[in-house]
Amino acid sequence: MKKFPIWSWLMILLGFTYFLLPLIGTLDFSLRILKDQLSLDAYVNVLNAVRFQNTFTYSFTMALWTIVACTLLVAPTAYWVHLKLPHLRPVIEFITLLTFVVPAILLVFGLIRIYSRPPLSLMESEIGSDFLLVMGYVSLALPYMYRAVDNGLRAIDVRTLTEAAQSLGAGWRIILFSVIFPNLRAALLSGAFLTFATVIGEFTIATFLARPAFGPYMANLGQTRPYESTALTIISLALTWASIGMIQLLGRGAQGQLVGTR
Amino acid sequence: MSFLELNNVRKTFGQTDAVRAFNLQVERGEFVSFLGPSGCGKTTTLRMIAGFELPTSGAIVINGDDVTYKPPQKRNTGMVFQSYALFPNMTVGDNIGFGLKIAGEPKSAIQKRVDEMLAIIKMEKFGARYPYQLSGGQQQRVALARAIAIRPQVLLLDEPLSALDAKIRVSLRQEIRAIQQKLGITTIYVTHDQEEALSLSDRVVVMNDGRIEQVGTPFEIYNFPTTEFAAQFVGTLNTIQATVRDAARGALIVANQEITTSQKLDGLRNGDAHSIAIRPERVSFAADGKKPNVLNVRIENITFLGSIVRVQVSAGENIFYMDTFNNPFLSLPKIGDHAEVTFSKEAVLVLKNK
Repeated sequence: MKKFPIWSWLMILLGFTYFLLPLIGTLDFSLRILKDQLSLDAYVNVLNAVRFQNTFTYSFTMALWTIVACTLLVAPTAYWVHLKLPHLRPVIEFITLLTFVVPAILLVFGLIRIYSRPPLSLMESEIGSDFLLVMGYVSLALPYMYRAVDNGLRAIDVRTLTEAAQSLGAGWRIILFSVIFPNLRAALLSGAFLTFATVIGEFTIATFLARPAFGPYMANLGQTRPYESTALTIISLALTWASIGMIQLLGRGAQGQLVGTR
Repeated sequence: MSFLELNNVRKTFGQTDAVRAFNLQVERGEFVSFLGPSGCGKTTTLRMIAGFELPTSGAIVINGDDVTYKPPQKRNTGMVFQSYALFPNMTVGDNIGFGLKIAGEPKSAIQKRVDEMLAIIKMEKFGARYPYQLSGGQQQRVALARAIAIRPQVLLLDEPLSALDAKIRVSLRQEIRAIQQKLGITTIYVTHDQEEALSLSDRVVVMNDGRIEQVGTPFEIYNFPTTEFAAQFVGTLNTIQATVRDAARGALIVANQEITTSQKLDGLRNGDAHSIAIRPERVSFAADGKKPNVLNVRIENITFLGSIVRVQVSAGENIFYMDTFNNPFLSLPKIGDHAEVTFSKEAVLVLKNK
C-alpha cells in the first residue's frame, strides 16, 4: 500500500498559509467597507474614480510603449547575438541583469541628472518626461523581455532557419518579419505580459519623474482610503495573474508548433 | 568550362585549415557526393558553395558566374538541411512557395508550382498541414520540394537523411535520385555514409582532413581506391604489409609467400616495404578453385553476419578478413585449422600514401 505523503501535504499547507492567507485577509478587508456586511462598494468607488481611470489609462499607455520599445530593442539584438555573436551571450545577459543590481531610485536619479539639463533637457516637456519614463521602464523590463526572447530563440534552430530562408532568396527584413518573429510569437507575448505586469504598478520612477501614473496613485490612496486601497491592490494582483495566465496559455499553444522542427 | 567549378578553394578557421586547395569541376546535371568522416571539410565546402561561408582564398564559379563573394540569397542554390529547417509557422504549401513568393511570382504561378512539387514528392494532400503534423521523412521531402521549387542552378544537400531511420533513409534516397534525374538538377550531396554516396552518385569525392583523397565514379572509388584512406573509408579493406620482390613483375612477399599484383609498382625498388590492400570479398578458400595468388593461413575467428560469413585469418603477422556468402550447406574450417586462401592479381591493390 502506498504511504500517505504526509510531509508533502504539510509543505503544501505551509506554503498555502504563508502565501494565500495574507491575500485572503486583504480580499476580506477590501469587502468590509460597510459595517457588518460584505460589499463591493470599495471596488465600485475605485473603478468610478476619475483619477483611477486617468492614472490607469496613462500607465497602460506607457506600458504599451515600453513593450514596443523593449521588443524593438531586445528581439533584433538577441537574434543577432544568437546568429553571429554567440560568444557575447554572457555579456548581454549580464547587461540585462544590471537592473536587479542597480536600484530603481538610483536609476531615476541618474536619468534626471543626465536628461534634465542641456543639451537634452527632456524633462522640460510632457513628451520628454514620458519618454524618460518609458526608457526607465525599458531598463526595468529588460531582464524579463530578454529572457523570454532568448528562451524562444533557443527553442528554434535560428541559424538553420535563417540559412534556409537565405538560400530561398530572402533578405534580412523578410527573414526577421516572416520567419524569425512569427516563430517567437509566444516568447514575445510572454515578454510583453511580464513587462506589462512589471510596469503597470511601478512606483519609484513614476514618482520621481512626477508622472501621473497608477503606482503613485495606489500609494497615495493607501494613505487616505484604506478600503479602496486594498481593493486596488486586489485589482492590480488580478491584472498580474491574468498576464501570467495569458503567458501560460500562449506558451502551451506554441509548444505544439515547434515539435519536430528543431 | 564546367557548370560548377571550385578553383583552389581554401578555408581556414583561425589556425585550422578546414579546406585546403580544393579543386573540382562538376558538369550540368551531375550528382556529386562529398564523402568523408566528421571534420573532413565536406560541409564547409558545401556551405561555401551555398554562400554561408566565405572562402579564405580561391574562386567558386556557377554557370560561368563567379559567385565567390555573392550573398547566399543571390546565388540561386537550393539547400536541404539535416534538420529539415521547415518554417514552423507556415503550412507545407507556404513553405514550398516561400522562395517563389520572395521572387515576386504571381499567386497563380506559385500555386501551380506548389501543386507540381507536392505531386513530385507524392504529398498532394498535405499542402495545408503544418510541419509539426508530419513525420521526419515527410518533412524532409517537403524540404526537398521547397529547395527545388525555386528552380535552383545547383541543389545542395547537407546530410539530409542522417536524422531518419534506416528504412526511410533507403526509400528516400531512391526518391531523391529519381527526382534529381527527372529534373536534371546539378546536385552536391554531403554524407558520411558510404552506401548512400555509392548508391546515389555519378561521382564521389572522398575527403579527409580538408583535402580531396580521390574523385571517381562509385565503381572506381570502391574497386580502385588510390589512397589508403579512400580504401579504408569506403567498404571494408584488409591492409597487409608486403615487401617488393620484383617490381618489374609485380611480385611481392607476404609472410614469406609470394603474391603478384596487376598494378604497377611505380617508384618502388626491390626490397622496399609497402602496404597493399585486398577487399574481403575478393578472397576465397583455395579448395573452391585456385586463383593466381595462394596464401597459407590459420583460421583465427568466424563471425556470422546474416547473409555473409566473415572469416578472420592470419598469415605470419598479418591478420585479415575474407567474406563468403552464407548458405545452409556451407562447410567451414574450424578455428585453429590451417587452410589455403586465394585471390586474383587484380584484387591486390597497391596504395599510394599521400
